[in-house]
Amino acid sequence: MNSDFMSLMAGVIHFFSQPMNWQGPGSIPAHIIEHVTYVLISTLIGAAIALPVGIGLGHSGRGGLMAINISNIGRAIPSFGVIILVFLLVGYGVIPVIVALVALAIPPMVTNSYVGMREVDPTVRQAAVALGMTGWQRLWQVELPIALPLIMAGVRTSAVQVMSTATLAAYVGLGGLGRYLIDGLAVRDLAQVLVGAILVAVLAVVTELLFAGLQKLITARGLQ
Amino acid sequence: MTNEHRQRASAEDRETQDSSAIVFEGVTKRYGDGTVAVESLDLTLPAGELTVLVGPSGCGKTTTLRMINRLETLSAGRLLIGERDVMSVDATRLRRQIGYVMQHSGLFPHKTIADNIAVVPRLLGWDKKRLRERVAELVEMVGLDEALAARYPHQLSGGQQQRVGLARALAADPPILLMDEPFAAVDPIVRARLQTEFLDLQRRVQKTIVMVTHDIDEAMKLGDRVAIFAQGGRLARFDTPARILSTPASDFVVDFIGADRELRRLALERLDSLELDAGLTAPRDEIVARARSYLQQAGSSGIVVLDEHRAPLGWLDWDTLKQADDRARIDSLALKPWRHRLYLHDNLRSALNALISAPGEVMPVLNAQGRYVGVIDQLQLTGRLT
Repeated sequence: MNSDFMSLMAGVIHFFSQPMNWQGPGSIPAHIIEHVTYVLISTLIGAAIALPVGIGLGHSGRGGLMAINISNIGRAIPSFGVIILVFLLVGYGVIPVIVALVALAIPPMVTNSYVGMREVDPTVRQAAVALGMTGWQRLWQVELPIALPLIMAGVRTSAVQVMSTATLAAYVGLGGLGRYLIDGLAVRDLAQVLVGAILVAVLAVVTELLFAGLQKLITARGLQ
Repeated sequence: MTNEHRQRASAEDRETQDSSAIVFEGVTKRYGDGTVAVESLDLTLPAGELTVLVGPSGCGKTTTLRMINRLETLSAGRLLIGERDVMSVDATRLRRQIGYVMQHSGLFPHKTIADNIAVVPRLLGWDKKRLRERVAELVEMVGLDEALAARYPHQLSGGQQQRVGLARALAADPPILLMDEPFAAVDPIVRARLQTEFLDLQRRVQKTIVMVTHDIDEAMKLGDRVAIFAQGGRLARFDTPARILSTPASDFVVDFIGADRELRRLALERLDSLELDAGLTAPRDEIVARARSYLQQAGSSGIVVLDEHRAPLGWLDWDTLKQADDRARIDSLALKPWRHRLYLHDNLRSALNALISAPGEVMPVLNAQGRYVGVIDQLQLTGRLT
């Protein structure tokens, strides 16, 4: 067991130290770029759908419970199932993966942006009306800046989840860091599996840190 | 914006500037569930005066206030500002011409104090220079330290936040100011100071002000006129504080202003409106024998001892004087100090409070410099009651 573990670690180090694993197609950087591309595309599409819905419902204060319930149901659907389903419908390609990841990205962003908007102090909202702000001015100048920290927290949760789940792309023959998991398991090369796991974990942590920094940067000083 | 638009806009602005009396004509507010908040209200709030709307909770006073800037929509009747029907004006435009102060300041937490104050002028498109000058002017006007302008609301005390709220409401110099329980959320000491300063400010700016409160004392202290509402949005009385207190007109009003309305009336009169008794005084270096003879001649039970600046040191009564050595200085005896200080600008109600705990039957009255001017006694005060 102990010697197994030692040889496994040696294998991992060996993998990382091979120059050929750092260059060209199928190398570590190439897989990272593929992986991050899936994550960026799905998070952005997810945000484009989720944020307007959550912010709009939060601003008007209507239908919020319904939106949160629907997005919670969305959370319960397994991403792998979605991939297989869409794969069966549209066939091979990047679309099944993106659809599954978008579905995964939406719920936290809807919930957080809705809650963020509702959390704005009613006195502050009322003041904005009484001072003569139009609906758009209230949204852009008052409610959004105040809700931004919570909205960003939602985007951050989504991005980190999508980052870990994007490994599923490899199951339908695409690239990304999931390749190491699938291929490693297929040939029982545990060192390679571990390499994939480590890289995904590091990327998730880096994403978390990046967003934490971004969130701090764009939060108005008066709210910190 | 076309030229024609601009001209019309400035003409409309002028309209509110000139004639800013607020007229309710049969105004009713009924909610969807059938509750009537305000019932067929006829009321004219004169331009340049401070009118206080007061009454028990649920009497429709806040709804009445909020209909003026259309935070509530009227169900029936007309509400005019000057000649203009508020329902005929665009709501956001109307609100920018009416200052609004709320109970909890409602400041924007993500903006600095200066930016909070500048909100309405910015909506109106003022240029940077004018904005900056106006903010500096307002910070001073409401008695804020200018160093606070760069801070954020959460760094300020409740009292300071209320001042910022007032500055924000006054920023675009609106002819009308609406205040919804503006002093209710601050502690009593800060409240009293804010009220006094606010009265001073109103004397200078002379705006048409409508204020809502549930505190009848505040209403009587601040209002040029007071409108007392009864449950169900009926107007029970609309008059000056002095006339309401002397002739309450209905049982409801009597109940609402309370059994101590005589005392409240005392609060409206100041000591300098009375002729004060010169009283019996002696300097601190007087000797006991002489003080005794003063007292016997005047037939008084005691004497006010003054220091070199004619500030009262304490009350010297006959019992103390009787047992003392003839040649002793009177300031070596046990003088009884007063717990309160009473100045000429204080009202008769404070005088009554001070008298209750005063040693002897009189209370010395001081001028603004703290020098003795005379005494007031219970008899003089009770003579002022009906």
